[in-house]
Amino acid sequence: MMLARVADSLYWIGRYVERAEHMCRLSDVMLNATLDRSEAATTVARIALSAVGDPDAAKAERPYDAALALALDREDGGSIYSSVARARENARQVRDQITTETWERLNLIYLRMNDPDVAASFAEGSQQFLHDTIADLHLFKGAGDATMSHGEGWSFLLLGVYLERAQLIGALLEVVFGEGRRRRPISDHFALTNVLRMGCALEPYLRVYTAEMQPRFILQFLTLDEDFPRSIRFCTDQIEQHLSAIIRHAGLAGRVGPDRLAGRLRARLQYADMTDLENEGASAFLKTVLDECSAIHRSLYDAFVAYPLEDRLPA
Amino acid sequence: MDSIVSVKRDEAGPKADLPAIPPAIPYDEMLTPKGAVRPHYEALQARLSTLSPDELAERQKTQERFFLLQGITFTVYGAESSTERIIPTDILPRIIPGSEWATIEKGLTQRLQALNMFLADIYSEQQILMDGVVPRELVLQAPSYRREMQNLYVPHKAYANVCGSDLIRQENGAFAVLEDNLRVPSGVSYMLANREASKRVFPGTFRGAGVRSIDRYPDLLLATLKSMASDWRADPQVVVLTPGVYNSAYYEHAYLARLMGVPLVEGRDIVVHDNMVYMRTTTGLRRIDVIYRRVDDDFIDPLTFRRDSSLGAAGLFNAYRAGNVVICNAPGTGVADDKAVYAYVPEIIRYYLGEDAILPNIETYLCREAAQLSHVLANLDKLVVKAVGASGGYGMLVGPHSTKAQRAEFAEALKADPANYIAQPTIQLSTAPCLVDHAVEPRHVDLRPFILSGEKIVVTPGALTRVALKKGSLVVNSSQGGGSKDTWVLSESKGERG
Repeated sequence: MMLARVADSLYWIGRYVERAEHMCRLSDVMLNATLDRSEAATTVARIALSAVGDPDAAKAERPYDAALALALDREDGGSIYSSVARARENARQVRDQITTETWERLNLIYLRMNDPDVAASFAEGSQQFLHDTIADLHLFKGAGDATMSHGEGWSFLLLGVYLERAQLIGALLEVVFGEGRRRRPISDHFALTNVLRMGCALEPYLRVYTAEMQPRFILQFLTLDEDFPRSIRFCTDQIEQHLSAIIRHAGLAGRVGPDRLAGRLRARLQYADMTDLENEGASAFLKTVLDECSAIHRSLYDAFVAYPLEDRLPA
Repeated sequence: MDSIVSVKRDEAGPKADLPAIPPAIPYDEMLTPKGAVRPHYEALQARLSTLSPDELAERQKTQERFFLLQGITFTVYGAESSTERIIPTDILPRIIPGSEWATIEKGLTQRLQALNMFLADIYSEQQILMDGVVPRELVLQAPSYRREMQNLYVPHKAYANVCGSDLIRQENGAFAVLEDNLRVPSGVSYMLANREASKRVFPGTFRGAGVRSIDRYPDLLLATLKSMASDWRADPQVVVLTPGVYNSAYYEHAYLARLMGVPLVEGRDIVVHDNMVYMRTTTGLRRIDVIYRRVDDDFIDPLTFRRDSSLGAAGLFNAYRAGNVVICNAPGTGVADDKAVYAYVPEIIRYYLGEDAILPNIETYLCREAAQLSHVLANLDKLVVKAVGASGGYGMLVGPHSTKAQRAEFAEALKADPANYIAQPTIQLSTAPCLVDHAVEPRHVDLRPFILSGEKIVVTPGALTRVALKKGSLVVNSSQGGGSKDTWVLSESKGERG
């Protein structure tokens, strides 16, 4: 049993933390790739910026400015700063529900991003800054895993993490592999390597598929791999597991909608193969996944957070 | 709301150009007037002499970092952005010998017992008013008097479940009560956090000193709150009600909820249905039995009190009246810490308990009395004048620091509405050693112990010591250079000799 507002906040901590981490990684990869002055490098920058919803070609020409804005722009609700600040604000609202060890990790990141000299330290070593932030976000998750009870609240937090991750990876794959908008398929080795880096997937990919960079394999790995924690399939497994844990805690088995939706999504990923995916088209497939993630988000709210009071009044 | 961030008294400190002895030499917690170290400070003094100024400053920095990381902060709202600051903390503990504490403890227990009896009386038979011990209109016209509380059953007659009284040490070394806080006293989280910090900074000295533990505050608070519903619920559901994350004491609300292991709720989490109070959980509505509210009376129920409040819950007060929930502290306790009623507390103690007050009051002039008014008007430059209804330092004149125009303005206000004002002599707070800019210097301090009352009254052997970190200042307010420090209460046998 926990307050609906608290569950809501924990869920959003998960989402914002995951979003911050993903955007740090995208910026980091972009900055690293564009050290090369090649056409492929510009492609990488364009992919990274499109994946965060900013397909402005001009910005890809000035990757440092784009990364700076993405990291520290306080006015932009989509910046890394905003995600960290919101995650931390949510954590403050449920401070009594989070262990001190976990809170400290997140607060540390927030304090660093709020430091008056933050712009200077970003300028001095932007990749180091982004790298440190990612590492600290990992520490946050690790501290939570090691010190918080793995009960209802933890499941809400991880539900936020995995729903967000499924949607972010889905959006990235749509940019790279989507068929629409008369895009040339990306076949450049350098660009493909960096796509894997954006999904933090390079090393695990190499171990499965070796250094052969095939767009088809990359799509398969990031969508359907069973064990890689950033594949969409892995995420949907986790979403289903944490939802059923929440439903079990709430004693609501068989009464709510989100578990049915999550089960269907998980099955869709579990039983799909590359032939299906290619027949249907990557865009259509990814759109279904993203739509179903949104539907799970909505039904989660209907079931646990913003439910109508009339249904729950004591008789 | 009472807040440790509130403006407090200012001073008429000794001026450099005055000849010979200043009007009053403050009592120093560590040194006797002749400059000898008092026995209970010897161990600390010995430890300090082995540390270089830089080492001390380093420890101070570590402690500040600890507070910042923990999020023990308050928010300063600026024009463009808001920043979070820590309330300054001083690493040198303030030490109180066991025998002195025994007097404080007895005095506070006696005082709260009498004040609870007073509240129970004025919200029922009003015997004390009929006997003319306290003027009727003083109580019934006080803005903090809540007619809605009349004849309402309060278990154990414990109205003020959590009380934080402000004590000061006078020039003669005796403690006196400056103010009672019976509404929503705050600061207990600083007491606990300062203790954690000072255990780290002076572990050896701490161990050797025989400091009494304050660790049990959260579970004693929980027991106190539970005792308020124990006669009708076997295992009552307790919650902490906070105004939310933007409140300056939010850290404390979350801290107490976490240490008690109870939900921290906001007004929007509460639903009142059929005079029962529920909270919205992921599994539907759950019944609430006891609310430790950190929201002012005015804001707890828009149907009963302020209509524009969204911090409480509509219908909460009726559920309370119906006996289905307990609100702690009870609404209307503020009448007992009203600045005019304060002057009568020694009489109140004598009336209900037949005893003399163990802890004295500060001398207080009630301007409502013609003779006292004329005395106040004649001595405006020496006195501190306070508006009765106001708190947080508003509507206050500090005579020795005032201009002629300010005094003239106050004189008019006093004549127009004398009943609204009281006056007190300018008070010299005692001083304690503090670390200021790499050096140990005396600074003025006060003392806020916390008293719990439910089935019984418990005084936690510790306190929040507030410090005026600016030299000569008596303002312990955090926004004006005030801070806090740990308070070591020693076991009776320790730190005293012959």
